[in-house]
Amino acid sequence: MKKKFISVLLCAAMAVTLIAGCGAPAAETGGNEGGESSSAASEGIPKDEIKVGFVHVSDPSDMGYTYNQDLGTQEMQKTLGLSDDQIVNKYNVPEGAECDTALRELVDAGCNIIFATSFGFEDYVKEVAAEYPDIQFCHATGYQAADSGLDNFHNYFASIYEGRYLAGIAAGMKTETNKLGYVAAFPFAEVISGYTAFYLGAKSVNPDVTMDIMYTNSWNDPTVESQVAQALIDRGCDVISQHSDSTAPATTAEDNGVWQVGYNNDMIEAAPHASLISPRIDWGIYVTEAVQDVIDGKEIPVDWCRGLEDGAVYLSPLNTDIAAEGTQEAIDEAQEKLISGEIHVFDGPLSGVSPEGEKYEVPEGEYYHEQEESSAPSWLYIIDGCNVVE
Amino acid sequence: MLSTLNGLFIAAVLAGTPLLLGALGEILTEKAGNLNLGVEGMMFMGAITGLAGSYYYEQAVIAGGGSPNGILSAAIALVTSFIAGAGGALIYSFLTITLRANQNVTGLTLTIFGTGFGNFFGEYIGQQAGGYVAVTDVTKKAFSGLNIPVLSDIPVLGPLLFRYNWLVYFAIIAAIIMAWFFSKSRVGLNLRAVGEDPATADAAGINITLYKYLATVIGGGICGIGGMYMSMVTTSGVWVHDCVSGYGWLAVALVIFATWSPARGMIVALIFGGLTIMRMYINIPGLPAQIYDMVPYVATIIVLVVTSMRQSKEHAQPKSCGLNYFREER
Repeated sequence: MKKKFISVLLCAAMAVTLIAGCGAPAAETGGNEGGESSSAASEGIPKDEIKVGFVHVSDPSDMGYTYNQDLGTQEMQKTLGLSDDQIVNKYNVPEGAECDTALRELVDAGCNIIFATSFGFEDYVKEVAAEYPDIQFCHATGYQAADSGLDNFHNYFASIYEGRYLAGIAAGMKTETNKLGYVAAFPFAEVISGYTAFYLGAKSVNPDVTMDIMYTNSWNDPTVESQVAQALIDRGCDVISQHSDSTAPATTAEDNGVWQVGYNNDMIEAAPHASLISPRIDWGIYVTEAVQDVIDGKEIPVDWCRGLEDGAVYLSPLNTDIAAEGTQEAIDEAQEKLISGEIHVFDGPLSGVSPEGEKYEVPEGEYYHEQEESSAPSWLYIIDGCNVVE
Repeated sequence: MLSTLNGLFIAAVLAGTPLLLGALGEILTEKAGNLNLGVEGMMFMGAITGLAGSYYYEQAVIAGGGSPNGILSAAIALVTSFIAGAGGALIYSFLTITLRANQNVTGLTLTIFGTGFGNFFGEYIGQQAGGYVAVTDVTKKAFSGLNIPVLSDIPVLGPLLFRYNWLVYFAIIAAIIMAWFFSKSRVGLNLRAVGEDPATADAAGINITLYKYLATVIGGGICGIGGMYMSMVTTSGVWVHDCVSGYGWLAVALVIFATWSPARGMIVALIFGGLTIMRMYINIPGLPAQIYDMVPYVATIIVLVVTSMRQSKEHAQPKSCGLNYFREER
């Protein structure tokens, strides 16, 4: 009994020394770095001292969303000439409490500015941002920054709907059955805005076209994406587009001898006989600007959204082997008109239904001001010609 | 209406095949008394090695100035994925049979290991390739639907029965062979004895260790082929991050649904596959997709409840499944 007691005592003593030994210095460094950034926020931070953190829902091997985000990070690193250890990436962070942990680890690592790139991270970013007013937090695709009352919490996105509209032109000119299919992740504004723009682009060159939409209820589940694409093809759709991460819709389209319009990445290499074109976002523009702002001690805009005009949204090269004749010309023409403001993606007259099932209309001569007041997409209406299969 | 039902049937077969392969591998494993929860991991290992086998074979042939052969490429994918799955199962076997480590923990660890193995090498090969890991058209064609002369052209029946990719027929043949093996062959009966009561089997002169090792390793290889189905058929020979994404666990559920019978496995894989894709073909207005997605699991729970109520010994899990055999404890 006595022996047992002594051994327990010894264990306890060891544990205490361990905690004291490791815990104290860690707490100290955390405090120091916090102090540094507080003075830096107003005066700027020397370029070789800044530290940039990222929280990603996946990792660049997804060859989709996170891959594209990472290209932006690399662009920023190159433009600003930062070293590798000035950038801390947290990959494969689920949209849950793990995000909170990842954010705090980045704070402890001494990051001055932290980017969180997935929609579901927003609540955690807001919470951590309130606790660390000296660190800048930027959240992609979110909508809460403007109303949060926090000076260090920002939202950013690109007007990808413009790119989808242009990609829709390629689909509208290619389709033979006049029926498009859309593999959609979730019934969120970001997704609905995207497929409506895609449909309107197709309709601008092909007034008879209709579109079936099916949800996968996941950002990345190749099996379901492939099955949904197959179901759409079985319904007679002959151009498949997607708001989901993987190449499965592209390869399924190829296997069935129909065509596809991608997203996030040029998918021609994966499905050379099916993939027509992909709208993409250049995240590097914003990330570079925001980090530069921290270096200069300037304020980062609360809401940042750019589009075709600034190159924040662009199209991957057209697959000229399979695209309909005149596609490139039609896309170029529409792009010019969109940039000059001669046409808008959501130009009236449009009619459809709201999520509450009420009739919704955009009158002739007016247009829906998507992503103009805030960086987050807000279009939530299902217009005539779009058929959500559920 | 008829064409919708045909579409549903075909999609159900395609959705059920990887699950059937995974479940067959696990049935073989569990019949030997080993509960290997590493199906997901072994499927990931098979998925990447099968794709890598085809991909490197093609690259080597193209670099040598030749043109790759689709059938050979498919055969290489089959062999490499089997070896990878078997390799994963060998680790499991060594830990649980020789070292008598806890089966649940070892299986779960194998799942974590295999998932990392698949994604790591998928990304590595992708970086080497400078983009997508994608096979060429010949291999894609070798894994797309067959076109059997005469049979495939029969109206209605042709597309329903004779136009699948070869792995579908492979899985069905494997299930039939396994059903025969368990009920008619001496070795199969011995194996069942090992799974039910290893001490008695040992007394009867059956080499327990050999049986357990072989069944688990071959079962793992079959799981690996199921994983190869995901990377070669579902995503058509393009590596997609996290491509197995939970289907290994569905295969484990399917083993229970099939009540450890390979023959029944074919039918329940079809039902299970059908239930997972039903919402895409049959739309009941107002019924949310989430309800559809629940149906396969609700069905599994019902089967569990019913089989445990009936207390049928034949339709139950092998008795020693999950327990390690230690001769000295007899």
